[in-house]
Amino acid sequence: MSTFSGISTALSSLQAQRQALEVAGQNIANAGTAGYTRQRADLTAVSASTPAMFSTSTSVGGGVRVTDVQRLSDAFLDAKVRAATTAAGTLSAQATAYSTLETTLGEPAKTALSGQLSALWSAWSDAGNQPDDGAARSVVLEDARTVVGTLQTLYRGVASQWDQTRTSTVSLVDQVNASAASVADLNDRIRAITTSGGSANELQDQRDQLVTQLSSLVGATTQARADGTVDVLVGGGTLVQGAHAAALAVAGATSFAQAAGGSAVTIEWADRPGATVALTGGQVAGQLHVLGPADPSGTGGVLTEAAAQVDAVATALATQVNALHQAAYTTDGQAGGELFHLDPGSASAALGLSVSVTDPTRIALSDDPAKPLDGSVGDAISRLGASAGGPDATWASAVVTIGTRAQAASSRAAVAEAARSTAEQQQVANASVDVDSETVDMLSFQRSYEGAARVLTAIDDMLDTLINKTGSVGR
Amino acid sequence: MTTRVTQLSMQRSTLANLQLNMAAMASLQERMSSGTKISVPSDDPAGTSDVLALRRQQASMTQYGRNADDATAWLTTLDSTLSSSLVSVRRARDLTVQGGNGALGAQAREALATEIEGVRDGLLSQANATYLGRTVFAGTSNAGVAFTTATAADGTRTYSYTGTVNGETPAVERRLGDDVTVRVDGDGAAVYGDGDDSVFALLDKVAAALRSPDGDPTQYLDAIDARYSAMLTGSSSVGARQNRVDAAKSALQSSTLNVTTQLGNVQDIDLAQVILDLESQQVAYQGALGATARTLQPTLLDFLQ
Repeated sequence: MSTFSGISTALSSLQAQRQALEVAGQNIANAGTAGYTRQRADLTAVSASTPAMFSTSTSVGGGVRVTDVQRLSDAFLDAKVRAATTAAGTLSAQATAYSTLETTLGEPAKTALSGQLSALWSAWSDAGNQPDDGAARSVVLEDARTVVGTLQTLYRGVASQWDQTRTSTVSLVDQVNASAASVADLNDRIRAITTSGGSANELQDQRDQLVTQLSSLVGATTQARADGTVDVLVGGGTLVQGAHAAALAVAGATSFAQAAGGSAVTIEWADRPGATVALTGGQVAGQLHVLGPADPSGTGGVLTEAAAQVDAVATALATQVNALHQAAYTTDGQAGGELFHLDPGSASAALGLSVSVTDPTRIALSDDPAKPLDGSVGDAISRLGASAGGPDATWASAVVTIGTRAQAASSRAAVAEAARSTAEQQQVANASVDVDSETVDMLSFQRSYEGAARVLTAIDDMLDTLINKTGSVGR
Repeated sequence: MTTRVTQLSMQRSTLANLQLNMAAMASLQERMSSGTKISVPSDDPAGTSDVLALRRQQASMTQYGRNADDATAWLTTLDSTLSSSLVSVRRARDLTVQGGNGALGAQAREALATEIEGVRDGLLSQANATYLGRTVFAGTSNAGVAFTTATAADGTRTYSYTGTVNGETPAVERRLGDDVTVRVDGDGAAVYGDGDDSVFALLDKVAAALRSPDGDPTQYLDAIDARYSAMLTGSSSVGARQNRVDAAKSALQSSTLNVTTQLGNVQDIDLAQVILDLESQQVAYQGALGATARTLQPTLLDFLQ
C-alpha cells in the first residue's frame, strides 16, 4: 500500500460520481423525449491488488469506477410492442377502409340509393295510374336517370378510394425503404462505436423507434447480433442485414379495373422483380387486403367486393325492368324495347348502365297493344321494389353486409389498438425516465461526491501532519 | 409484479384516457345533434336492415295512399254520373208511360219525343264523362269518348262502344296494397249497353214510336226497366268498391302509423337517455381533467430545498 493510494481512491470516487451524475442529468434532460430509454451508470468497486508475499499491510480496494452505462430496455417488452403494433396496423388499415366506404355508400340516409329506388318505383306506379299523362312518364325517366347516376357515383367513389389506397400504399412502402436504410446506417454506426468501446445507447433508441415503425408498416421482426447490429426480417426475407438494406416495391394491379378483373396488388423485392414478399401483418398488409380482388366467399378485397355489389344492383335493375318493359306496349301500340341499356363492352355493369329511352312517350305501360291506356305494366314494374331478388333487396343486403363487416373490423381494430396501447404503456413505464428516482439518485451521487472530497481533505490533512508537522520536536 | 410508473407513462395514459372521454362525448353529441342512432350502417347493421325495409314499406304505403286517393276520385266521378243517369232513365220511363196514353194528340206526342231525345243526349254525355281527361266508362281505350254516334242518311243513329277489347271491357285498376287491387272504372257496355242494345238506341226507338201515329211506346217499358236495373247494378258495384277503397285507406293509415313507430324505435335516439349519458360523460371528463391537473404537476423537486 502506497501512502498516496488513498488519494487515487478518492479521485476514482470523484470521477465515478461525477460520471453517474452526468448520466442522471442526461436522463432528466430526456425525461420527455419520445423513444428515449433511461440509462444507468454501473459502478463497480475496484478490487485490491494482490498483496506481495511479504507484505504486512492488509490490502484495501482501489476505489470505484464506471464499468458501463447501461440502457435499461427490456427486449421482451420491445418484442411485445412490435407484435401488437403489427396486428394493430393491419386491422386499423382495414377498419379505416371500411369506414370510408360506409361514408361513400351514404346509407341509411333518405337521400341515398335506397330512397332513390323507392322514388323510382313510386314514379312507375303513378305513370301506370295515368298512362295518358306525359308528366308522370317524364318523372319516371328523370328518376331512372337519377338512379343510374347514383349507381355510377357509387362505383366511381369506390374506384377512387381504391386509387387513393394504392397511392398511400406506395408512399408507405417508400417510408419502409427509407426507414430500412436508416436502420442499416444506424447499425453501421452502432457497430463502429461498440467495437471501439463507446456507448451507443442514444443511437439504439433511434434504431428501436425505426424498427417499431417498420413493424407497424410491414410486420417486421428483428434478430439481434453479437456486434450490436440487428437484422430486420420481413415476410420471411431479410430487409436489413448489418449495414445493408434491401428495398421493397409495389407491383401488380395499377388500376381499379385491373383489381376488379381479379389481379392483386403485391409487394416485391425491388432488386428481384417478381419475387413477392408474403407480408403477414402491418399497415401495408392491411391495405393490400383492402386492394385485393373480389372473392366469391366474401373474403376478398373490401373495395372490389363493394363495387361488385353495386354492379349486381345495376344488373338486377336493368334486366328486371327491361324484361317487363320489353313485353309491354306504348300508347300507340308499339313494343316497349329496353328501358335501361347495359353496355356489354363495359367491365362494370354500373358504369355501362344508361337509360336508353329519351322520349317519355316511348315508355311502355300496357300489356296489350289493343289496350292503349292500360297501366298494368307500370304497376308490375313498381312491384319490383318489393320483390325478393329485386334491386332494392340486393342493395339492402349489400349495405347490411358492408355494415356488419365494418362493425367487426372496427371492433377488432379497437381491441388490437387496446393491446398495442397496453404493450406500449408497459414498455414506456419500463423505459421512460422517472424524475423522482433520478432526483434521489442525484442526491446520493452528490453526497457521495461530497464524501469523496472529504476523504481527500482528510488524507491531505494526514499528509500535512506527516510532512510538515513531524520532526519538529524541540525546534 | 409492481408496475413502474413514471411521469411520461402517467402523462401518456392520462392523455389516452382524456382522448377516450372526448371520443365518447363526441359520439354522444353526434347522436344528440343528428337525432338518429344509425348514421352509418356499422352503427347497427341489423337496425340498418330494418330501417331500409321499413323505409321501403313506408314509401310503398305512401304510394298506395296516393293510389287510393286516385281511386276515390274515379269512383266519385262514376257514382255521381251513374246517379244522374238513373234519374234520367227514370224520367225517360215516366215520359214513355205518358206517351202510352191513347188520348194524346200528335203535338203532345211530338213534345214527348223531343224530351226523350233530350234525355238521350244527357245520358250520352254522362256516358262520356271524364276524370282528368280520361273517359271513365271506356276502359283502356284512348278514343276520348266511351260511345261514338253516327247518323245515317235516313236519320237513323247508331251507337258504338269504344272500350271493348276481345269481347270485354278491360279493367282499370289501382293497387291499394301488396296484394290488393280495386277496379276504378265503369264498364260502359254493361251499364249503358252497346250498339242496338244501348239505352240511347232504345230511347231513339221510343221517340220513333211516339212520332209514328199508331206507335206504342209502352212496348219498350220492359227494356227500359232492364236497362235501369243494369245501371243500378253498376251503381251499387261502385258503392261496394268505394267501401273497399275506404277500408283499404283506413288500414293503410293504421299500418303507416305502425311503420313510422317502428322506424322511430329502430333509428331515433332516446333523448332523455342520451342527455343523461352526456351529463354523466361530462362529469367523468371533468373528473379526469381534475385528476390530471393534480397528478401531473408535482415532482420530488417541489419538496426538496
